[in-house]
Amino acid sequence: MGVLVLLIIASLIVALGFLFAFLWSVRSGQYEDEYTPSVRMLFEDENTGLEEKENK
Amino acid sequence: MSTENTQVEKFSYDNNIVRLFANATILWGVVGMLVGLLVAFQLIFPVLNLNLEYTAFGRIRPLHTNAVIFAFVGNGIFAGVYYSLQRLLKTRMYSDLLGKINFWGWQLIIVSAAITLPLGLTTSKEYAELEWPIDIAIALIWVVFGWNMFGTILKRRERHLYVAIWFYIATFVTVAVLHIVNSFELPVSLFKSYSWYAGVQDALVQWWYGHNAVAFFLTTPYLGLMYYFIPKAVNRPVFSYRLSIIHFWALIFLYIWAGPHHLLYTALPDWAQSLGVVFSVMLIAPSWGGMINGLLTLRGAWDKVRDSAVLKFLVVAVTAYGMSTFEGPMLSLKNVNAIAHFTDWIVAHVHVGALGWNGFLTFGMLYYLFPKLYKTQIFSPKLTSTSGSAP
Amino acid sequence: MKGSTIDQNISCYHCGEACRDEQIRQDDKTFCCLGCKTVYNVLRNNKLDQYYQIEAQAGTRQKAAQFGKFDYLDDRKVEEELLLFKDDKISSVKFELPQIHCSACIWLLERLYKFHQGVIESKVNFLRREVTILFEHQKISLKELAGLLQSIGYEPNINLSNTTAKKKRKKIDRKIAYQVGLAGFAFGNIMLLSLPEYFGITEGADQNLSRWFNWLNLLLATPVAIYSGQDYFKSAWHSLKQKRLNIDVPIAVGVLVLYLRSTYEIVAQSGSGYFDSLCGLLFFLLLGRLFQQKVYHQLSFERDYQSYFPIAVSRVEEGQRKSVPLKNLKKGDKIFVRNGELIPVDARLIKGNAKIDNSFISGESRLIEKQLGEKIFAGGKQVGGSIYLEVLKPLDQSRLTSLWNRYAGMKKEKYESHFSKRTDKISEWFTPIILLIAIFSAYFHLSSGWSEAIEVVTSVLIVACPCALALAAPFTLGHAIRKAGRKACYFRDSAVMENLASISHIVFDKTGTLTLKESARFQYVGTQLNDYEKTAFGSLLAQSTHPLSKVLSTELVPDKEAEIDHFEEIEGKGILGIIDGKLFQIGSAKWLNTEIENDGSSIVVFAFEKEVIGYFKIKNSFRSHLKEIVDELGHDHELSMISGDRKGGQENIMKIFPAHSQLLFEQSPEEKVLFIENLKNKKHKVAMVGDGLNDSAALQTADVGISIADDVHAFSPASDIILDGKSFGYLPSLMKLAKYSRNIIWISFGISFLYNLIGLSFAVQGLLSPVIAAILMPVSSISVVGFVSLASWLKKLKAVY
Repeated sequence: MGVLVLLIIASLIVALGFLFAFLWSVRSGQYEDEYTPSVRMLFEDENTGLEEKENK
Repeated sequence: MSTENTQVEKFSYDNNIVRLFANATILWGVVGMLVGLLVAFQLIFPVLNLNLEYTAFGRIRPLHTNAVIFAFVGNGIFAGVYYSLQRLLKTRMYSDLLGKINFWGWQLIIVSAAITLPLGLTTSKEYAELEWPIDIAIALIWVVFGWNMFGTILKRRERHLYVAIWFYIATFVTVAVLHIVNSFELPVSLFKSYSWYAGVQDALVQWWYGHNAVAFFLTTPYLGLMYYFIPKAVNRPVFSYRLSIIHFWALIFLYIWAGPHHLLYTALPDWAQSLGVVFSVMLIAPSWGGMINGLLTLRGAWDKVRDSAVLKFLVVAVTAYGMSTFEGPMLSLKNVNAIAHFTDWIVAHVHVGALGWNGFLTFGMLYYLFPKLYKTQIFSPKLTSTSGSAP
Repeated sequence: MKGSTIDQNISCYHCGEACRDEQIRQDDKTFCCLGCKTVYNVLRNNKLDQYYQIEAQAGTRQKAAQFGKFDYLDDRKVEEELLLFKDDKISSVKFELPQIHCSACIWLLERLYKFHQGVIESKVNFLRREVTILFEHQKISLKELAGLLQSIGYEPNINLSNTTAKKKRKKIDRKIAYQVGLAGFAFGNIMLLSLPEYFGITEGADQNLSRWFNWLNLLLATPVAIYSGQDYFKSAWHSLKQKRLNIDVPIAVGVLVLYLRSTYEIVAQSGSGYFDSLCGLLFFLLLGRLFQQKVYHQLSFERDYQSYFPIAVSRVEEGQRKSVPLKNLKKGDKIFVRNGELIPVDARLIKGNAKIDNSFISGESRLIEKQLGEKIFAGGKQVGGSIYLEVLKPLDQSRLTSLWNRYAGMKKEKYESHFSKRTDKISEWFTPIILLIAIFSAYFHLSSGWSEAIEVVTSVLIVACPCALALAAPFTLGHAIRKAGRKACYFRDSAVMENLASISHIVFDKTGTLTLKESARFQYVGTQLNDYEKTAFGSLLAQSTHPLSKVLSTELVPDKEAEIDHFEEIEGKGILGIIDGKLFQIGSAKWLNTEIENDGSSIVVFAFEKEVIGYFKIKNSFRSHLKEIVDELGHDHELSMISGDRKGGQENIMKIFPAHSQLLFEQSPEEKVLFIENLKNKKHKVAMVGDGLNDSAALQTADVGISIADDVHAFSPASDIILDGKSFGYLPSLMKLAKYSRNIIWISFGISFLYNLIGLSFAVQGLLSPVIAAILMPVSSISVVGFVSLASWLKKLKAVY
């Protein structure tokens, strides 16, 4: 099953890549705030964004 | 005050590319499903193969799966990513030209698939039937997409990468690796090649690809879209952003690589199968964590579902996701599989996933996008609701 | 037309509060005060009034802005202490904005750059109620920035603690994230690399492959064991050194044996080890810890006096007032304190009219007048005009600050262990038993040779690893904490929940805890009284002997006495008087023919010439249902009350407590501490419920300190639990929840022992195959977590119906 070597090397490289991505994201403070980003993404900058909001 | 004008940066989002992809999604959705209908009828009325080799079941079925997965869902992914990425990062796409190449290249691939498959040009690998020149084209266009995405991420004006973006990144990276590794082949002519791998090794690679293609082409990008479009459509933040972060990393570190267990188990010794069961059960956790997170976003706002067709579609999609991720591990149990294998159940399972999850999420997304992209209203809200309840 | 002037239905367009005192109109919108209107105009002029569309009435009620409040931010030293960093062009600062409360706040505050081009970027952290601002200091100074925030309704809360504590934080939170990430990564990949093993490919040419993979597994698992597992080893070592056995000992032994045996198997090529189990085990354990980790970053449980003290004060130097950092004050300095400012150090009054509000430190709301030359302790608030003081003692030597400093940090050491104390206690007999079992089984298997004996011993130690045991407490307590959080009751950490279950004695403070703050009792609705009416009504009230009149006359003090021509008190109805030939009436709603919605408060209506002007709502000074709450708590606990107030007129409070309860009055902060220490010496488990800073030290001394706060984000002394004043009635349920959680943990322990028993029975026979180990470990963990979740969920259902 020599092909396993290839598959595993490929998978390992990808997984290592994600491990580093994970380390980077923690270290750069991506997860310091685990709430505000989920609200921030709701704001629309375009003027059209307002139209769908219910008018009070 | 003289610096006032230099301070304010003006930029606009590239909605044109989103429109292109969204329209293509509809077009290929119609085509793919019509072909599916034909395939289904052929099962009862074999005469519908029209006595032509080009429309024989064996050639039309891959056309259906390819059209639905890569043309319909593929364009849906691009439309959703090109729309949400710009807004999440508060910047225009890195390059309009790369976007255009991405779009027209992808359509060219689809068209060539639609031509070569009925002609019988196939590598006979499931979900990777296309011949080597098209494989190379797919790889190139995919890289163009990744280039454009990372370029955008690098020039972003919002420091935090919203969880959806992580799902997009995972999609790009893994699909690229899966596609390239699976498609190693030796061309003998322009239209014929042989797989680099032989016999059972080829089968192993094929199903390593097959399972993960489901995970990374049909699941991760759509989870990203779910985390973007559900909060947007309800206008409230996702139930738990913390859970969504854990969801992503758990999926990345565990889900992928444990996947092949239950697909490859036929020749396994007993104890390994038991282990496979344990892992499969464990895998329900991250999948359902995501589903619950999506559904609970609607807590206290279920009344909005009554009035919003977009939400109806999204809710059905997430529910279908929950069902198929529960069904999957169950079907991998040996005794269940003994009954289910070679029955319509498997086909149904795939359709709960592809039509229920991917399809409905795409429909919901398109209903959300079109009024915004064309600054208009939905032609008939009533028809929208009807179309949602009909299937 | 009766009562037509009272229109409660109009609410302020900016803040949403009812416009009672005044109604200011502009652009068809109504505002409750000038402050709100000003903010509205600022937003509108900057084209940011989309604010109100994101969340209707998103603002907070504006207090009158104090001019020149942030002058001290111009001081170089103060600025240095506050800024996160500064280079030639750009500075960065973090402000605490207690007003942040909804999504519109985030929206607005992140668009600061639209107000001023000097602002480069502003980012809100909603849970912590902070905003981090990047700005060009040549274009906008720190003082101007604070002023900008103030002008849009978000006045930064700058105090002494900003300069000291802020910089220490971080680091620790990230370590566990790295550890979990690493364990998860290795766990997934080791499962992948074990594929050949799982598929039974152990023969022929592929055997090399699987050996090669085993080495890779070893490579992956080593950092996990060392880095992700380090805390368990450290804690185990620490506890062994103290000749104790905490739960980390068997875990550390399990991990170590698992690692060594797997390594041995791979090196000796006799098997492939259990690295997947090792990484999975650590992964789940760490995940459990992440789950019970501090849930409420946003609340500061470490708040001490520093959070209430200003960062800078005005020092008088040669007739000039100059802002200097508080810490730089020396004995003999002359300082200047304005109306509403805190007395920052122990000092002597040298000029001005000092009226000190000590409610902060003693809970008493009466103003205390001080004579020239008299000593004033730090912590009081000056009310009235400005005063000049001479510093007697610098900050850290002042009486109260040194008292607080002494008790702060007393509790820290309690929270060292990662698991609950109960788990640790069990471990004290669990570990020796396991070791005995291991030795005995080794002895029995010795006949079959050394290698088999070692095999059995390692199997026993691996399977006995109490991971499910270790998971039960974090998950149960984590659930319980979240549940309490939904009732506005916030825990410092999970160990507090456990302590709460064993509390036998509850001690209450009075003012602000059992009773509402004086200022919160009175609410006036209607047209604002003018001076003439104030004088008239006030004079009438002063004549009356009715208890409500007495209470009200403290609130409505006339500037001068009016001449009353006729006075009459009608029992059960009210009082009337004729002044300058006009009829003034004060009394019940019924008597004055008006209808007012009543929520249990006393209502006193004012009428002029038979026309209703407005009414006072006087809330009961006790928290609602106090009697019932105290009764319920009295079933299972002894109760006491220690108050800083005088005893006079406190008969009501005595009736509320059970007969044998101890009720003490006129207690100083030091005496409160002594009282609690005494109880503890008598083997009581004490919970202290208090509010103000005067309780601060007592809260620290008690086994569990519960601070009652009417605004959980703004004001609460250091404590273990912060309970929203509105949720005071939750206390009895909270005590029950703690006990219920304790029971769940016990049951989970039972389940986990059952698994261990099954596993051990295989292990001692030398029958432990990889299947059993691999299945039993995750199954036991998952079923315990499942049970815990289910039990918590059922409890929730019960609470709802």
